[in-house]
Amino acid sequence: MNRPMTAIIKKDIRGVTANKRMFTTLLVVPLVLVVFLPTVFILSLHFMPDENGELLKLLKLLPLNVQAGSTPSALTHLLFNYILPVFFLFIPIMASSVMAASSFVGEKEKHTLETLLYCPLSLQQIFRAKVLASFFLSMGVSLLSFLCMLVVVEGESFLITHSLVLPKINWLLILLLVSPALSLIAITLTVRVSAKAQSVEDAQQGAVFLLMPVLLMIIGQFTGVLLVSGWLLLAIGLVCAVLAALLLKNAINHFKYETLLKQ
Amino acid sequence: MTNAVVLNALSKTYPGGKKAVDAVSIALSPGEVFGFLGPNGAGKTTTVKLLSGMLAPTSGDCAVFGLDPAQNPEKVHALSGIVTEHAQMYDTLTGLQNLLFFGDLYGLSPEESQRRSSQLLEEMDLTSAKDQKLSAYSTGMRQRLSLARALMHQPKILFLDEPTSGLDPESAQNVHTLIHNLASQQGITVFLCTHQLRYAQEICTQYGLMDQGRLLAQGTLEALRAKVHSGLKVKLQAQKVPPEFSPYQTASHEFLIPIQSEGEIPQLARRVLDSGGDLYHLSAQLPSLEDIYFELTKEKGASV
Repeated sequence: MNRPMTAIIKKDIRGVTANKRMFTTLLVVPLVLVVFLPTVFILSLHFMPDENGELLKLLKLLPLNVQAGSTPSALTHLLFNYILPVFFLFIPIMASSVMAASSFVGEKEKHTLETLLYCPLSLQQIFRAKVLASFFLSMGVSLLSFLCMLVVVEGESFLITHSLVLPKINWLLILLLVSPALSLIAITLTVRVSAKAQSVEDAQQGAVFLLMPVLLMIIGQFTGVLLVSGWLLLAIGLVCAVLAALLLKNAINHFKYETLLKQ
Repeated sequence: MTNAVVLNALSKTYPGGKKAVDAVSIALSPGEVFGFLGPNGAGKTTTVKLLSGMLAPTSGDCAVFGLDPAQNPEKVHALSGIVTEHAQMYDTLTGLQNLLFFGDLYGLSPEESQRRSSQLLEEMDLTSAKDQKLSAYSTGMRQRLSLARALMHQPKILFLDEPTSGLDPESAQNVHTLIHNLASQQGITVFLCTHQLRYAQEICTQYGLMDQGRLLAQGTLEALRAKVHSGLKVKLQAQKVPPEFSPYQTASHEFLIPIQSEGEIPQLARRVLDSGGDLYHLSAQLPSLEDIYFELTKEKGASV
């Protein structure tokens, strides 16, 4: 990544962070999902105890490796290690979808795309810079959400069960491999849609109404994958990473300036 | 020496079938200020887009300092500064931030970028507005900032497509003075597209006259004047002139009489005086670019 590409990335990210209203929305939704919802869940465990151990019996049917213990600690373990990781597959995609969708067509509408294209950068470099800007933003939001979630969930778990929830290796795979790879795929496809779109609405429709449901459907299956094995997760992560790299390299191979500037 | 710009039977037909540029051939030496003139829709903007690699030619080819823009657009961009109506800058950034951003894009070091920005803002008389967001800039200020942006990396050639469009006469005059200074003091080649022939005549050293995608004529003003047969006119202020001058009367006692060559002027003066007329003023008027342009389009229309 060279200096001009870094300049585009910084400018694009600053464009989002400088817009306080938009940036707050970007942060609030993930925090509601990974801080507010788990809090409600954990507090309800505390205030509505499983007196007859019915829930614990049910939980033992799942291949969860639940340590012999109380219902709250088993459910917190289930929530923390099997449900919350799935959220981190779509939080980055969601956080970057608007930015990625407007990456090219937004510049076109503001009449700044032509100026950008007149710089001594290849189309591939501009495309990669646009993808990476959205990617870094998505990873930033994802990491921040993770840290907030970790502090809140561990804190609440300690208060209620007097013990911390141990994170499984799955977390590492999700945060460092599967989630970045999947986001990169989604962002690359969205930026490609943006490069071909005639208006921001057009790009958002293409990205949010066509791409997102498909991705969310795939992500929906991940709770199952988490239950099966870490190796399967690693394999899926690696496949996604290879696919993301190929897409990033080849997504706009046949694109020309003329395609981008078409009115 | 490599030509700054070469167009070799360059043609561009858009997918809808519109032939925007039709077999245009031009060769420009470095340091020229080339006025590419013609009305809207003449093919000027398309030519700039072909020269900057934004469009691929349908046939023929072109080169900027020996580089084919269709093959090496990035290399052409590295040595060109391009200002067009659709190449705007970021409203959310200040004037200075915009220049620094484009300095980064052109690969300037942070120090160089800062130095060039300050220098250009000063030259464009924008120093006092450097920390204002671009959204607060007037059209004239935006145009000057675009010119500064195009000059950040010290290009060898400037492509300017209607740089004074939408400007008041004073701002337009300022921009033209800037362009003139850039060419005369820094030796930058300028490819200036405009339909304001009067301004072009003041700053250009070479001209190309376009109409409906075709190059009507190319050359210096003298060369273009030589191409127009009935271009020379004599302005006459006289009383009691012979009756054959009546068709050329433009105002009370004022006449504009077409002649073939300057050799006819003494004859004309003698004719007025010999017929008992009083001669107050007589001057030869060379055809302006506008006269030449209209003459050439008329000739073309007649030959079709």
